[in-house]
Amino acid sequence: MAKKSRIAAGLLVAISAVAMLGACAPGQVEGQGSGAAPSAVQSVDPAEFAGKTMNYVYFTDGPDAEATAQLISAFEEKYKVTVNLETLPYKDLVTSVQARLSGGNAPDVVRLTGLTDFRADLLDLRGYLGEGYAEEFLPGPVVGATGSDGKMLAVPSDLTLNGPFVNVDMFKKAGVSLPDPEKPWTWDEMIEAATEVQKATGSQYAFAMDKSGHRLSTVLNQYGTALVAEGKSALDAEKAKQALTPLIEMMGDNRMPRDFWLGSGSRYSGANEIFIAQDAPVYLSGNWQVGQFAKNATFEWAAAPNPCADNCGGFPGGKYMAALQEGKNPALAAEFIRFMNTAENQETFIKAGGFLPTRKDLAEKGVTYPARQADMDVFLKDLERTPELGYAANSDPAFVGSATELVNAVSDVVAGKKDLSTAVSDLQESTQALVEELQQ
Amino acid sequence: MTAVQTAPHLQQRKAPLKMRLVPYLFLLPNMAIFGLFTIWPAINGFNISMYSSSNGRTFRWEGAGNYQRILTDADFWGIVGNTVVYALSFVLLSVVLGVMLAVLVDQQRRGRTFFRSVFFIPVLISPVVAGLVWNWMLERQNGVVNSFLGSFGIAEIPWLVDNTLAMLVVIGVGTWMQVGFYMLILLAGLQSIDPSVYEAAKIDGASRWQQFISLTFPLLQPSILVVVVLATIHGFQAFDFIYTLTGGGPVGATTLIVQFIYENGFVSPIRYGVASAGSVLLFCAIFGLTIVNWMIGRKREAA
Amino acid sequence: MSHSTVTKSPPETGPSKTWTSTGRNKVTSTDALRVVILVTSALLALIPIVWLVLGSFKTPAELSERPPTLLPESWGLSNYTEAMTRFDFASYLANSVIVTLAATLLTLAINSMAAYALAKYNFRGKNALFLLTLATIMIPLQVILLPVYQVVASLGMVNTLWGLIIPAAATPTGVFILRQYMLSIPDELIEAARVDGAGEFRIFFRIVLPMCRPALAVVAILSIMWRWNDFLWPLVVAQSEAVYTLPVALARFTAEETVPFNLIIAMSVVTVLPVIILFLFFQRQIVTGIANTGIK
Repeated sequence: MAKKSRIAAGLLVAISAVAMLGACAPGQVEGQGSGAAPSAVQSVDPAEFAGKTMNYVYFTDGPDAEATAQLISAFEEKYKVTVNLETLPYKDLVTSVQARLSGGNAPDVVRLTGLTDFRADLLDLRGYLGEGYAEEFLPGPVVGATGSDGKMLAVPSDLTLNGPFVNVDMFKKAGVSLPDPEKPWTWDEMIEAATEVQKATGSQYAFAMDKSGHRLSTVLNQYGTALVAEGKSALDAEKAKQALTPLIEMMGDNRMPRDFWLGSGSRYSGANEIFIAQDAPVYLSGNWQVGQFAKNATFEWAAAPNPCADNCGGFPGGKYMAALQEGKNPALAAEFIRFMNTAENQETFIKAGGFLPTRKDLAEKGVTYPARQADMDVFLKDLERTPELGYAANSDPAFVGSATELVNAVSDVVAGKKDLSTAVSDLQESTQALVEELQQ
Repeated sequence: MTAVQTAPHLQQRKAPLKMRLVPYLFLLPNMAIFGLFTIWPAINGFNISMYSSSNGRTFRWEGAGNYQRILTDADFWGIVGNTVVYALSFVLLSVVLGVMLAVLVDQQRRGRTFFRSVFFIPVLISPVVAGLVWNWMLERQNGVVNSFLGSFGIAEIPWLVDNTLAMLVVIGVGTWMQVGFYMLILLAGLQSIDPSVYEAAKIDGASRWQQFISLTFPLLQPSILVVVVLATIHGFQAFDFIYTLTGGGPVGATTLIVQFIYENGFVSPIRYGVASAGSVLLFCAIFGLTIVNWMIGRKREAA
Repeated sequence: MSHSTVTKSPPETGPSKTWTSTGRNKVTSTDALRVVILVTSALLALIPIVWLVLGSFKTPAELSERPPTLLPESWGLSNYTEAMTRFDFASYLANSVIVTLAATLLTLAINSMAAYALAKYNFRGKNALFLLTLATIMIPLQVILLPVYQVVASLGMVNTLWGLIIPAAATPTGVFILRQYMLSIPDELIEAARVDGAGEFRIFFRIVLPMCRPALAVVAILSIMWRWNDFLWPLVVAQSEAVYTLPVALARFTAEETVPFNLIIAMSVVTVLPVIILFLFFQRQIVTGIANTGIK
């Protein structure tokens, strides 16, 4: 029995040791933060950069990687520096960068889809690029790049827009007319057309959509509401119900793939395979699919204008390039960002990746893409129709979390766990809770 | 665990200093790495559970706030329920299938080497890949499993989109991935049973089944105990393959506790404090269960 | 007259050959049933892997066919070549191999030493340390990821292969398995060597360790499997392409906006086959090793 009491004694010692450790904070306690970045513009002589090294954390969707590598080579040659391109899987990027920040190993520049996770760590680029730099870009994307007090925490490097694709072959076979890019169809018209094509061609579904809160927000937007706006939960229950009802109805009679929606839990899932297999004549996704469809689709397809309800246009997404305060060479980082986003370089990049421009000059003069110009033009046109509230929602810190809740809400209704009214009011509640939590 | 014999193991008290240091020296490299890379961070993690943080660098004191938040969350208890159901089923199935396969392989003479090894192969596959393959195979409309069943006229089964079926699939795949390992442990236990033990029973006219129940099964207890302990620990930590298999769906039916921890620690909005608190709770649960398992096992042995 | 065999060899089932009968050749219904069950189970174990390999040769169009085709149209390696040219395959492969081998060697060394101490010595804190070892099996990496990273960073091991090799080498399961095995080694052997004047480390290295070959084989294959499939840790510790391992590449594909399923399948096969092949080579040792960890 001496053994047992010794084990007990050992446990007691361990517990008290741990408890004492609890007195030490594991890191910096809030309220003791360090100072902010300087606000006066620093001009650095480019010759000073020679021989330095910087790290660029990047993620790729495939075709853009080569363009990035090319631009980086050009930058390296111009300034005689070395840029280490570190390509990570998108979903692990945040974790990796956070680990590095906590280990004192921060990269210099990061490519992000949103600033939320690193807001406090990003460099105010006005100090290096000037107050007027933001003017070179479209106002919508800049909203997402601006921090409190008008700090410019990132540069929007490319834009994506959600929008539908149609299977032209199937539409032709069914004798249904394609939508006119100048006069976009309405939601009802789109669903009608899709259903007709499904009936006439015997395809498995009428309509497919990526399982994503971001895509669902497109629909919400078109009905005039959004998850969050101005740091508050902004969902209008009535409009949300209006927006989601057609989707839920379609999943109810399997005009839209129900299995697909329920099958992967809370993970993102893209329905592009369903479109490529010609199982659905209409597919709501976004412009990044153009490159992939051009390569893999064995049928004629086209981008279609976003359907209108209260609003027209799509829902924006996009990427930013940001510099980290803890990076070793902020001036070089800022210069790198500026270089990658000059009109010429941004044009090269977005042409390769099939992205949309964020620069005013590029948007005005139009961009000639190597392929599928007509489709990209459809998106560019929709860009003009896209309401402001989409940009604000997308860049709100609470967006990602509430988008996940939105997906779960729709799943709950589709699975019969909740009815739509309850799901929407629950969603409003959880979004509000999220907003409050993130504001602390 | 057999009782530690004091002789002829080296008696610590009687040995000279240099000798007394030897075991510690043997242990040192392993324990140093443990301490540095597992235990110290774990203590840190426990510490973090009392704060809230969204970036791992700045913290705000919460005290028991995270625990409170978790324990009052209805969804969390649903997740606990899922975890318990999975773990219990996994352990049970592992033992039953493991014993069954071990017995069959033991009795099989032709191709025994093949059968011994073939069940171990799924053990070697990365859990992520396992989830990927089964997800692909069990897809309702395009999956090969339903196509195969369809050729017998069986209607499409919604493996991954029906709540109950999804959980059954998860339990099945989880067991598929591990049973080969447990089977080998049990097989060894079987083969160490002295066959003369059965002679008496055979003479008494006991049937095979009776022999199994009254002789084989009790004599297998030590191996079964090892399997139960390892399977419990493993079952409660299930996550990787489930995440690729069902993503925790449909509608959270297969979300287990490590997924809860993962999502709070790695998916926006990041809540490291909550993730750490969840881990502490998980650790206590597994630790408690392991001790209970072990004590029950030792009592049985002593009896 | 039946010949009863002793201890380790399996009990003979069915009628044995006596000098008056060749009863052994009779196949009973139980035999048939047993074979059916075993073969079905074996198929269940293997089919997913076979399906994966078959799928790796199919084009994206073939993969989306309904009902799914059994065999690929051609055995072309296009999926493999495309997957491997998307990133520096040779480098990732080399890293995976180096990390796996080095970590396994380190694991075998330090785990066996620790197991020896816990199995064959009597010292203060032994049980507590064993319990601690067991307890660390229960800590999933996700939980301690950031704190471990901080430790590794403070030691300057970030973005190095050492950072991938060392932290994971002290596997608690390895210690557990080796200890169980060593418990069954007769103490008399060790005592005799001591009496002969051999040093403690000599005894460990020359006598005990060679006897542990099966257990070492088990820990080896487990370690190889773990390190080869490790994904989260290499992802976080490695910062440049020069240090990434194969699972990171697989994860990258899965995370792309338009998931290239055919490439994922090919990469999965690449990550799965080497370990299986290795296992098949060393089956006998490994299986015997596991066999002796369950008893006592």
